[in-house]
Amino acid sequence: MTAVLARRDLLAALLAATALPGLAHAAPDAPLFGDLDHAAAGRIGKAWLARHPDAGAAALARRLFPNGRGPDALPALRRQLSEDFRRGAVFVHRGWRLSETEGALFGLLALEG
Amino acid sequence: MAFIDARTLPDASPIEADLIIIGGGLAGITLARELAGGPLKVAVLESGGREIDEAIQDLYAGTAVVKAPDNPDKPFDDYPLQSRARVLGGSGMIWGGKCVPLDPADFIARPWAPHTGWPMTRQQLQPFYDRACDLLEIPRFDAGDKALKDPARPPLALDPRDGFFSAPRVFTRYSGGADRAAFDRFRTDFAAAPNITVYLHANVTRIRLTPNGDKGGGDVVEGLDVACLDGKRHTAVGQTYVLAVGGIENVRLLLASNGVRPEGIGNRRDLVGRFFQGHVTYALDGDAETEGTAVQVSRQASMSLYLNPGRAAAHCVVAAGLPAQARLKTGNFTATLYAAGETGAGTPTQAETKALRRVATRMDGASPGDGQLLGFFAMSEHFPNPDSRVTLNMATKDPLGMPRIHLEWRYAKADWDSLERSAAAFGDALGAAGQGRVCWPVQRRKLLEISSASRHHMGTTRMSADPAKGVVDPDQKVHDTANLYVTGSSVFPTSGIANPTLTILALTLRLADHLKRDMGARQ
Repeated sequence: MTAVLARRDLLAALLAATALPGLAHAAPDAPLFGDLDHAAAGRIGKAWLARHPDAGAAALARRLFPNGRGPDALPALRRQLSEDFRRGAVFVHRGWRLSETEGALFGLLALEG
Repeated sequence: MAFIDARTLPDASPIEADLIIIGGGLAGITLARELAGGPLKVAVLESGGREIDEAIQDLYAGTAVVKAPDNPDKPFDDYPLQSRARVLGGSGMIWGGKCVPLDPADFIARPWAPHTGWPMTRQQLQPFYDRACDLLEIPRFDAGDKALKDPARPPLALDPRDGFFSAPRVFTRYSGGADRAAFDRFRTDFAAAPNITVYLHANVTRIRLTPNGDKGGGDVVEGLDVACLDGKRHTAVGQTYVLAVGGIENVRLLLASNGVRPEGIGNRRDLVGRFFQGHVTYALDGDAETEGTAVQVSRQASMSLYLNPGRAAAHCVVAAGLPAQARLKTGNFTATLYAAGETGAGTPTQAETKALRRVATRMDGASPGDGQLLGFFAMSEHFPNPDSRVTLNMATKDPLGMPRIHLEWRYAKADWDSLERSAAAFGDALGAAGQGRVCWPVQRRKLLEISSASRHHMGTTRMSADPAKGVVDPDQKVHDTANLYVTGSSVFPTSGIANPTLTILALTLRLADHLKRDMGARQ
């Protein structure tokens, strides 16, 4: 699998997840991240990876998507994100306080980009 | 009965009343208003006139410095002069009118925060808060602040487990900065009562004592020296005296009145002037290179409740309640959100902010778009600190011969720890609830540099039932005196993050009830 295809899979999985009833108000065909600036996201991801030098794409994908990149991915990520904040597992980037899960997601985007 | 310009009285005129109120600011006026039309003859001695005057204002001048760990000292000499108004109505003339009571947690002795705890609860003060709200014609802050919450503008849906809550603020029109005509009525109409006389341009320069403290009844105030800037000198004599000239000037007068007690009045335990507390905001504006203090709001459709909507409606902040404080070992904390535009257009900084906002918004399950990017300023309780204090500079005197003051406003490491932990926890609460993210890019060594001080002076004649721990007792009577009371924010043991005026008025209304009972029984 190429990196580009992997990223497409990741975004598609998250896009599918937003179409779940009650999960979001997004229209099913709306792009999840819209025109996400991949260069900017990549820089955030690299900042996270700098603090996790042993993280690899495969391990991160297993951690973030243990059940695959299907429709259930986003609710699971969402639960993990809340738990992260409640136990202080955060990634601070230029002052922005993000969950470790978000940091890992940016890291995966960087690795797969 | 009247307003009298003390400069027009013959020199050495005697001023006589049952109750003499030193200071015609909001505290003094509120006390006089409560007693207007009653049996007690009341004299209010106000240093200023009806308008702010530079020469009178200069009587406040002193020196000040802010000291804090890991930060260079911040010279602050203009603060004593510029932070209060010496005029009829006091600092109400320049007040913005923002009202909020102290939180219930503010009254509690918190084991992780030394010197905290009031000799009363919020519940016990609530009837007086209600009366203060009525006086200022604002909604009462009832349980849960239901009257202040607009269903059309819901607050952020934070999870109570995380310990942060919506804490509305409201504005009264009775301030010089809001409605001058209404405030003029507020600061003058009570003087039409036949038992009230307000003396303008009447500066109290000394409280004269008859020593009686060793006999158990407390030192007795026998009179006041009154001075005018034109050289006139008068005396004022009453049964009971209330000192209400502000958190710095109350100290100045007590310490300078050292004819009988060399250490000053009420200062046998060296507490007068200590525990100075102020309110400070911390905010950083972003630029092309650095992020500012910001909040990304992911889901809230309308944030108008959180943006300053003007004076006519509730003004909301997010605050840390007691459970959060206990968990984090912090003090009170608030985050006030305000509209702010994006900075650094086209820069890598802005691009990264946009990317993380987009991902956060989606992760929070919100609609397409990026939510709202708002600025915020943080406020963190200044913990009571005996080394934060007002003293007299005996070498420098004002035109009336009063020593000038020196303020050494001190923060401890615990203050910085509390601020930073609270800001982080605020971000965690927002994130955990799926409501957004917080940006707190401030370095500790820059905290003083980015701080902005309010005009609130608190804690310097703190209240305690124990004379070893406070200057005034729970009735606001100076320990070891028989007939001298203090009102105003100087009696606050802790400062919370509430604008102090509403609490000043509540305490003053409570004092008025006490004096009515106490002095009525003696008549």
